[in-house]
Amino acid sequence: MDQTIDGTGFCGKKTLISLKGISKKYLKNGRDIVAVKDCDLDIGENEFMVIVGPTGSGKSTLLKLIGGFETPTTGAITVGDSPVKGPGSDRGMIFQEYALLPWRSVLQNVELGLEFQYGKRAENKALAMEYIDMVGLSAAVNKHPVELSGGMKRRASLAMILVTKPKILLMDGPFNALDSKTKLTLHTEITRIWKHEHNTIIFVTSELDEAVKLSERIAVMNRDGRISKIFTNDLPRPRFGKAALEPQFHHRFIELREEVMNEVKAAAGKTVCDYGL
Amino acid sequence: MAEKQETGIGGLQAFLADRGYYVLGVFLFLAVWQAASTLKLFGNDFSEAFSPVAAFLALIEMAKNGDIVHHAIPSLRRVLVSLVLAIVFALPVGVLVGYFKSLEKLTYVPFQFMRMISPLAWMPIAIIMFGVGDVSVTFLLWLVAIWPLILNTVHGAGRVSPLWLNMARTMGAGDKGILSKIIIPAAIPDMLTGLRLAVGVSWIILVPAEMLGVPDGLGYFILDTRDRFRYDQLMATIFIIGLIGYLLDSANRWLISRFAWKI
Repeated sequence: MDQTIDGTGFCGKKTLISLKGISKKYLKNGRDIVAVKDCDLDIGENEFMVIVGPTGSGKSTLLKLIGGFETPTTGAITVGDSPVKGPGSDRGMIFQEYALLPWRSVLQNVELGLEFQYGKRAENKALAMEYIDMVGLSAAVNKHPVELSGGMKRRASLAMILVTKPKILLMDGPFNALDSKTKLTLHTEITRIWKHEHNTIIFVTSELDEAVKLSERIAVMNRDGRISKIFTNDLPRPRFGKAALEPQFHHRFIELREEVMNEVKAAAGKTVCDYGL
Repeated sequence: MAEKQETGIGGLQAFLADRGYYVLGVFLFLAVWQAASTLKLFGNDFSEAFSPVAAFLALIEMAKNGDIVHHAIPSLRRVLVSLVLAIVFALPVGVLVGYFKSLEKLTYVPFQFMRMISPLAWMPIAIIMFGVGDVSVTFLLWLVAIWPLILNTVHGAGRVSPLWLNMARTMGAGDKGILSKIIIPAAIPDMLTGLRLAVGVSWIILVPAEMLGVPDGLGYFILDTRDRFRYDQLMATIFIIGLIGYLLDSANRWLISRFAWKI
């Protein structure tokens, strides 16, 4: 079933991230829990890969393995030519939880990564402001995390990672629980950043609309922690604004979402699927 | 008109709620003190010399003849020197112990055991090591100040979320960056709480420590006034000890409000 791509990569893109025979087992209450099983996946340079699947299918674990926050039980992950041995600044991770430092304001939080990489510089502020603007937090630059709502915290953590311009962006449900207007802005922005900065994005989500809107390919994970199918997303770009209102576009969008949903439903097995209509 | 009066009462109540009760507390305290000495509540041995009025007059006398400065300065010097030495020692130890869980387990029992021992119990050992004098007093004060500093810093450094560390690493932070931008700022509120406790306990231990053979200081002066039967000066010295302690604590509270981040 697996549609792994060969050395030439997807759409002629050079393979950047390569997962070979990846499994991850946890010991929980004396029982082995298999989160990820026998995953082979090649992700090309500048690819936008979205991973979907029912809850508990190991999507987040797979992302953490690529990020180097967890070590696989079996198999090997390579980025470029070097094996993943731990977290690194080439792979920016946007966590499901908010990783904002409570003693820093929004601006200071966004400046943090720049301080790590370049020390304190005059340019840091302007650069940080640009990304704060992008996530729509200009009015809250001097607020501290304790004063922010959940959605604002999420947007701040997004700006915090984006400003460091990582080559690879690992995003674990970054837009969950955001209002639809903010979500639309961020979908447009992340697409723009991806086109503009040529980074490689691996994006985990449970929302299929989002998956179809953003991805070049969609990998579906099933309850066993396997990748059951990889879809190639042929939806034309641009996918936002007027173009998205064209009947052919809309038709293809619905069609593709339906295909992916059927696969996800199958992947969920007998358990109730959280994508049911 | 009635409305105006109401706001007047409201304003007074607000003032009382804000500052008035504090002032009232001070007056009540002085009144109880005066009444206790006038009515000889603690027995006939307690003459009028123990009253706040007598203490106040003695205070003016001691301010004029320089006794206050002569004894308060060495006391403050001893406390500050020992606090600086305690901070220099305790904060790095606290950060290390808080950050490395194995070190925390290793040191838990010895630290909890040691902190419960009054430093005055070490007095004979201090005198064998350093002789009678300033060094012994400073050592004893240091010994009492390090525990709240260490234990609070341990707590603060232990509160560093693994998420912050992971995030810092994905941003390319090195060990130095993680220490200076994540661990130390995370621990600052607890460090300041530790400092406040350390200042309090040092100031308390100072008085008995200065009774161990130094030629000056507020603790020494307590014994001196007793020997000269100058109970008004004794009470004035006690008042000074309380006042300086209160001011030191206020300074600490200001530090906390200024530099401690809130969750």
